[in-house]
Amino acid sequence: MPNDKKSQKIVDIIQNAARKHSLFVLAYGTGCGAIEIPPTMTSRYDAERFGIRGMATPRQADVLLVTGYLATKTLKRVIRAYEQMQDPKYVIGFGSCTINGGMYWDSYNTIKLLDKYIPVDVYINGCMPRPEAVIEGFIELQGLIKDGKANGATKYKENIDWYRANQKKVIKNWNMPDYNW
Amino acid sequence: MTEDKHIKEQKIVDQLSGTFQNLTGKVKRERRVEVSVEKKLIPSVLSYVKDQLTFTHMSHMSCVDWLEDEHFELVYILWSPELKVQLLVKTLINRENPVIENVDMIWGQLNTYQREIREMYGIQFTGLEGREEFVLEDWDEMPPMRRDFDTAEYIKDVFFERPGRDGAKDVREVIATRSGEEIPELAKKYSRD
Repeated sequence: MPNDKKSQKIVDIIQNAARKHSLFVLAYGTGCGAIEIPPTMTSRYDAERFGIRGMATPRQADVLLVTGYLATKTLKRVIRAYEQMQDPKYVIGFGSCTINGGMYWDSYNTIKLLDKYIPVDVYINGCMPRPEAVIEGFIELQGLIKDGKANGATKYKENIDWYRANQKKVIKNWNMPDYNW
Repeated sequence: MTEDKHIKEQKIVDQLSGTFQNLTGKVKRERRVEVSVEKKLIPSVLSYVKDQLTFTHMSHMSCVDWLEDEHFELVYILWSPELKVQLLVKTLINRENPVIENVDMIWGQLNTYQREIREMYGIQFTGLEGREEFVLEDWDEMPPMRRDFDTAEYIKDVFFERPGRDGAKDVREVIATRSGEEIPELAKKYSRD
């Protein structure tokens, strides 16, 4: 195959269209939002008809769904899970806690803005968002993937120093391995 | 009146104040008794009520921070399945040097409660085993449940905050102007700057 820009573009379009319909969501629930995921995935709302399904391990998943508030302790695990995930990877911030801290806005132990620690592609607002809203958010993400705009992972790699500085400000004892994606 | 209505509750108070010195007890209401003791009496009072007065169930243990009076108050909440009475054993400890005897040999679950109180209020239990870290991770500030810990100041330093919309209005003021009312003095401190 000739390695020029035009053919690469065609490959990208095909790749993105294929990726969009096979989103493996890491089964990792934080906060209270995880309770909305079982009805979303099962027969009532059936997210699988959009190509969205659960996956047990971060290395085999595409989407990290951060379902609610993150204590600084949980943030450490979320960062670790996110860095283990392989490209392409996307993050969905779920519920108002990831947007502005939600009802934990004055807590000494929960982060208020998820976007400062890991790159968020799509936010779903609400407390809690209903399964319809969750599916709406996933469709939004699929649209971004199709247009090639869901580039949170690239942003993370480019600005890793800025993200690391923010993360280390909250996580004082940084004893995590470095993943060479 | 109280004596007639709450016979079994009054009996517990009488029995305890007859056994221990400097013990003040009162019947709060039906099925609820409250006693206050010195902190050095806590192990003996707890084992006495467990063995002699059938308060076998340890429901909860909590801590109150009386910042103005400069002491902590520990509350052991016990339940007697036989008498159907809830007993609150209270003790005051110095806020400057909060140390008290560990009592987890009486009820094993006290180990968990005491470790939580140690982390959240900084109260030391002599002889308490278990990891120093309980729920919090890498916490090096003042214990967060103490009332002189300024949470608002802390989150300003450590976390990012969303600035909010430009031209966001204060809900109280909008409603007050619309209905022609005045905001009471006590609610003004919650208004936007």
